[in-house]
Amino acid sequence: MWQRWFTVKGRSLFSIAFSLHRLTGIVLTIYLCMHLAYLTSIRMGKEVFESFIATTVTPQFLIFDILLILAGVYHGVNGLRLIIHEFGLAYESRKSILYISVAIALIVWLIASYRMYVFVMGV
Amino acid sequence: MDVEFKIKRFDGEKSYWQTFNIPVKKGMTVLEGLYYIKENLDGSLAFRASCRMAICGSCAVKINGKPRLACETQILEIGNKLEIEPLDNFRVIKDLVTDFEGFFAKHESVKPYLIRKDDNYEEPVELIQSPKELYAYYDFTLCVKCGICYSVCPAAATRDDYLGPAAITAAYRFNADSRDEGEKTRLALVCGDNGVWRCHFAAECSEVCPKQIDPAKAVQKMRFKAAIEAIKSIFR
Repeated sequence: MWQRWFTVKGRSLFSIAFSLHRLTGIVLTIYLCMHLAYLTSIRMGKEVFESFIATTVTPQFLIFDILLILAGVYHGVNGLRLIIHEFGLAYESRKSILYISVAIALIVWLIASYRMYVFVMGV
Repeated sequence: MDVEFKIKRFDGEKSYWQTFNIPVKKGMTVLEGLYYIKENLDGSLAFRASCRMAICGSCAVKINGKPRLACETQILEIGNKLEIEPLDNFRVIKDLVTDFEGFFAKHESVKPYLIRKDDNYEEPVELIQSPKELYAYYDFTLCVKCGICYSVCPAAATRDDYLGPAAITAAYRFNADSRDEGEKTRLALVCGDNGVWRCHFAAECSEVCPKQIDPAKAVQKMRFKAAIEAIKSIFR
């Protein structure tokens, strides 16, 4: 049944936005669990935690971080778009608002990715 | 000009695709194409149709992946290859005929009629309404109950007991009617987790509605009213 969240054939951009919202929600949930497990490692000592940091804050992991930021930013901005409509506002402009929210998500993602690139690569 | 109709058929046990080539003239609709097949090529083809002018909502099918009314869709607007399937989110009975019993039961469950304390069928009285009051709900009266909105709704796809956009729109249509006095009754019916709170605003229902009545808007307005009522009930 849940596979039908991802039916996009013959559908409009709104269904694609919905499917991506679901997909990014699942990704963020998995990430949250991993993140909490990761943070818990500090209970095993500073050295253990820092060894985790040394493993993940690396150029090899940068692509995953960039994709994670994309998922997070898209989910957040699209969520705000949904809240606007669910408060009873701007249905008639929903297409424009969808385009604007995707544009905002892309801009924020590019800026965040650039900053992460500079931080990790040290350039 | 010949056009290929590839139809997804179901004989009660298995579904399969069958292809027909039919001669098409300019202006011919998909429904006329289906009638041509039934009358000339294969009399066993089952589909539902009635008014042939987009009023009854019977002939909704998926055409090249998008749900439409077959009677108002011209074949040559689509192309020279058509894939026709039954609507999603409905049980298929035979070929393109789907089971609408649950859909109509949900529609009926939201009491889609005027509720008034002074109903008197022996001596009916005229209920006056201004144009502004009429326009508050008029668009939503145009629903033909074709089920297209329900067929694309991801919330209906994943939960059978979800009321769906058409039923909630019908509830909103009567709640927004100045002559009606059943707002609270209907709000109670649609504010459960199988009602307005199940909608995730994919808004696909509004995109595909053949009458452009914007069911997503009605669902969100009902949801907003349900939220206000819920908050008010805390202070009562």
